[in-house]
Amino acid sequence: MAVVINKKTLKHLAELARIDLKPYEEKKLLKDLQRILDYFQELKELDTKDIEPLTGIGQITQKNTFRDDKVDLERRQKEIGEVGRILETFPETEGRFLKTPPVFE
Amino acid sequence: MYLHDLTIKKFHQGLLNKDFSAFEITEAFLKFIKEKDKKIGAYLKVMPESALRQAKDVDLKIAAGESPPLVAGVPLAVKDNILISGESVTAASKILEDYQASYDATVIEKLRSLGAIFLGKTNLDEFAMGSSTENSAFDLTRNPHDLKRVAGGSSGGSAAAVASTQAIASLGSDTGGSIRQPAAFCGVVGLKPTYGAVSRYGLIALASSLDQIGPITKTVEDAEILFNAIKGKDPKDSTSFDYEKQQASGGLQDITKLRIGIPKEYFIEGLNPEVKAAVDRVIKDFESLKFKITSISLPHTKYALACYYIILPAEASANLARYDGMRYPRIKNQESRIKNLRDLYIKNRSEGFGEEVKRRIILGTFVLSAGYYDAYYLKAQKVRALIKEDFDKVFKEIDLILTPVTPTPAFEIGEKTKDPLSMYLSDIFTIPANLAGLPAISIPIRHLPKDKLPIGFQMIGRHFKEADILEIGKIYEAIYS
Repeated sequence: MAVVINKKTLKHLAELARIDLKPYEEKKLLKDLQRILDYFQELKELDTKDIEPLTGIGQITQKNTFRDDKVDLERRQKEIGEVGRILETFPETEGRFLKTPPVFE
Repeated sequence: MYLHDLTIKKFHQGLLNKDFSAFEITEAFLKFIKEKDKKIGAYLKVMPESALRQAKDVDLKIAAGESPPLVAGVPLAVKDNILISGESVTAASKILEDYQASYDATVIEKLRSLGAIFLGKTNLDEFAMGSSTENSAFDLTRNPHDLKRVAGGSSGGSAAAVASTQAIASLGSDTGGSIRQPAAFCGVVGLKPTYGAVSRYGLIALASSLDQIGPITKTVEDAEILFNAIKGKDPKDSTSFDYEKQQASGGLQDITKLRIGIPKEYFIEGLNPEVKAAVDRVIKDFESLKFKITSISLPHTKYALACYYIILPAEASANLARYDGMRYPRIKNQESRIKNLRDLYIKNRSEGFGEEVKRRIILGTFVLSAGYYDAYYLKAQKVRALIKEDFDKVFKEIDLILTPVTPTPAFEIGEKTKDPLSMYLSDIFTIPANLAGLPAISIPIRHLPKDKLPIGFQMIGRHFKEADILEIGKIYEAIYS
């Protein structure tokens, strides 16, 4: 049984993603998403009961990645400059703080 | 000296012979871009001042007796999802329209220290989501071989720039074919390295278990040069690995003994007859060079597209959560409507993201949501394991895999924009290599007449075995040189 995506589900997803959809966007998305989900149906025919999920390729190309727990002074020096430039790109700041609108009204 | 003849290799020789200076060539490229790019639309931004300054530095060093590295002075184009410090970086999205990079991506840092020159930033599908560069919020990139057709995507600008002599080579990024597909459409070489071979620090993330940066060039040899310049472990990207060490542990192969596998699942009904004929001819070329060619099967190939379009949106929806109007520039002229943080998120994301980006964020949110996670996301990860196993199995019998890059040559502008699924299908042959993390290269088929649209063939190698596909690629090119 194919999953049917209705307007209510779409509204909920858009809310989760913090996107406000215009009526024409909703209409097109409903159609597109349904076609895409129908296409996903073909995965159902595969028996994957005993298959371990592959979460990424990092587990193949290398094992865990560690670094020594010490300050890299050269890198730190560079990063201080970068942090300054990142602060400059923030739309609103107060001192070295990022300023946002209130969480609650 | 003709710009269109220049490869990285030839440029380097010319520089050593003092046939020209880096400054002269950079100036010539900048002049040519001014004329040519009105028609093509490869660049979102050209950086003449910094490029000429970099070129002058290279010339000064040569004059002082330094011997220049292979990429020194080479005018490059860079996909606009890779950060160059102090320059704007948009990912072709309105949401980053006014954003300035505050640091160099590791690939840029490496190339900069070798003296490479950055001519400008190239167009792409918004956040690298697309196969035609039609999803860019800013510009349309046309195929230099036929202006009515797309350049491919998402690295369409980077491929078109190289194909139209607006750069000697370029950098792109490949999540499901975004280097190889536009390279094939534009008749240039594109390499997607092994997952983790090249640092992605400073690449705007799309899907982190799939993304790789790689070169787009005129020849396989150039792809090798550029790859060697950018590869290697980077402490700032924990998925990157020590390439030399991995390669050494694999041991060296006698190139002439490499066995080539042809997977039957890639020669399906929907394959355009011209593409099929062209790839068949490539196989014959290798046969006549006495390579051992074997028919193989990768039985889960047909599931790769569905698997990819679950995993990619899932990862993308998480990666793109950061564009919230807080740490990046805000969409203009709406301050009065914003009362709280939630409004800010919604206004910026609703107006800042384009149609395809919204579609994938919503789809990703869906496949990760409670109740659907197991049926979609977990299922896709299991299918991904099966696809990878297919490759593991065949690599016991053969050393590399030869396939078409795309089911058709470049399609017309507007042909697939209405139907996302038909657009997604143009990546069916390139996606499996990303899912399995394997290196893959797209090489233009050389025997085609000049007035035909370019067609590419793809070679997929084992993990860390870029050397195999690059060497065989060079052998192929030598037949036609």
